[in-house]
Amino acid sequence: MYSKRLHRALADYLGLGLALIVLIAFFATTTDYFFTLITFRTIANQIPDAVIIATGMTFVLIIAGIDLSVGSVLALGGAVFGLAITSWHFPLFLAAVLCIAVGMICGAVNGVMVAKWRLPAFIVTLGMLEAARGGAYLVTTSKTHYIGTSVEWITARGMMGLSVSFLIALFIVIIAQFILSYTIFGRSMFALGGNEEAARLSGIPINYIKTAVYTLCGGLAALAAVIHCAKLTAADPNAGIGYELQAIAAVVIGGTSLMGGRGSVINTFIGVIIIAVLENGLVQMGAQDPIKRLVTGAVIIIAVVLDYYRRRP
Amino acid sequence: MIRVKITLLLVLTAILSHGCSNCGNSKSAGKETAKPRVALIMKSLANEFFLTMEEGAQAHNAVHPEYTLFTDGIKDELDVNRQIQLVEQMMARQINAIVIAPADSKALIPVCHRAMKSGISVVNIDNKFDKEVLSERGIHIPFVGPNNRKGAYLAGSYLAKQLAKNDLVAIIEGIPSAYNGIQRKLGFEDAMNEAEIHIVSSQVANWEMAKANRIASAIITEHPNLKAILCANDSMALGTVAALRAAGKLEQIQVVGFDNISAAQELLNKKELLATIDQHADQLAVFGIEFALGMLESGEIPSDHETPVDLITATAAT
Repeated sequence: MYSKRLHRALADYLGLGLALIVLIAFFATTTDYFFTLITFRTIANQIPDAVIIATGMTFVLIIAGIDLSVGSVLALGGAVFGLAITSWHFPLFLAAVLCIAVGMICGAVNGVMVAKWRLPAFIVTLGMLEAARGGAYLVTTSKTHYIGTSVEWITARGMMGLSVSFLIALFIVIIAQFILSYTIFGRSMFALGGNEEAARLSGIPINYIKTAVYTLCGGLAALAAVIHCAKLTAADPNAGIGYELQAIAAVVIGGTSLMGGRGSVINTFIGVIIIAVLENGLVQMGAQDPIKRLVTGAVIIIAVVLDYYRRRP
Repeated sequence: MIRVKITLLLVLTAILSHGCSNCGNSKSAGKETAKPRVALIMKSLANEFFLTMEEGAQAHNAVHPEYTLFTDGIKDELDVNRQIQLVEQMMARQINAIVIAPADSKALIPVCHRAMKSGISVVNIDNKFDKEVLSERGIHIPFVGPNNRKGAYLAGSYLAKQLAKNDLVAIIEGIPSAYNGIQRKLGFEDAMNEAEIHIVSSQVANWEMAKANRIASAIITEHPNLKAILCANDSMALGTVAALRAAGKLEQIQVVGFDNISAAQELLNKKELLATIDQHADQLAVFGIEFALGMLESGEIPSDHETPVDLITATAAT
């Protein structure tokens, strides 16, 4: 039984990994400089915010929920972070903590509404999408705030040319996968997503789990905001528009089910890489914007179709 | 379940975009008939550029109380439908003149034509109306605004002086359907062609900082000998500079922007940005309003009026 599951998980990773290798091989042959260490370093240093958001989104989708507010929460968190540093002269660490706290509060509001009042997550988080964006504009007075170089070390290169932010993202992926696979909390998430009524009847505190998952997702979106701001050395109230859909796309490419009960953070991580490789490769090919969108859309659809066949016994 | 979600999304989008269609309409209409009533209709008020524009107009109105100013804008720069509703609402409020920054250079013409027929003076700012559609309808709406192509050419030429013949550069474009985005790209190209500098890549980043950051990273990897990146606005220049900093290429690659937003000024001071263009955003709406007031007084429809664009360089910005 256990070996069968392992076998299946391995097959999952292999399938996605293979798709990634095919993509890389394609771009390596069609462009001059894609297959270089610089490209992979660039991609590694660009994806941390997307990876962190997608990790939170994976949790939410596993419990059969959805969180549309992550992009706006990122903007609000970033706005608070930027202002805390430039106007209130907070030390970096404190500003980051404040930012993450703001994100967790947004997430907790989502979670409590969804769990306690049984409101559809789609509506609640759509409301938060608007509200948090409004908050971001209010906090920044709709202006881009230049933060300066004090935050740059987060995205500066640490080990082997990889940025600190990439290492943070990697750490979060590993911890999140560990939680999913080896803790009661993780197991309860799968149970809840698979069959909520059955999970409740078997004594799983579903309200607590839901609230915790949405709070985590909000907190992770705000952590992504810190990295996003550090990367751009600026807090932009228009940041993160459409990130919720990008995150959902990455999670779905990674084979997590929108219906809940199934998913893996490591696969999500590969999903994010696939999207980043696509974008980088297409730019290096000199493809124009409409083509890029067409291809990215097609890849998402193909991933879902493949998933349909992979799921069948 | 998915279908339910999609239906809900559609319903909610409809509510969000139309739910407020009557807000602000209740304010008393036309008590002071002597004062001209001027409406300023802008694009996204979430954009710093239009916010500056609105603040400039309100400051002007405070000093010149001889006209009444109504300002409004849409939530999203591409929400054409909502902007058409705004024009209709302003017509209902017995406005004498409309100064508009259209979200679309074609789709807003019919409603402005209707406004003109009802005796309202219309002045076009920021995004220029499409010439062919205007002439097809046999009307003329005066455009008051900067020459984006000229501005981009100024920035490009200044950059060209720092470069040598046959150097390689790249362009990062705004939204490809936007008139000012197209004009800026053309202006950059004019300057580069004149100096015989090669444009090796030109990519769309939709005016967005984060997208420009990703695109610039990919471009500099593909073209290791690149000497400069020309960005169609400052937000994208900010994203590009961050990408260069991350790649350790700030010394090798020069960046120019457009708009002179406050965050870009700090980059100019640090010499990480070579130049940007100031098209006096705070004055753009004011130029339009003054022009509209002139039209109300004379009763004529004058031709287009070009407003100044200035080159701001690293040394000049202090």
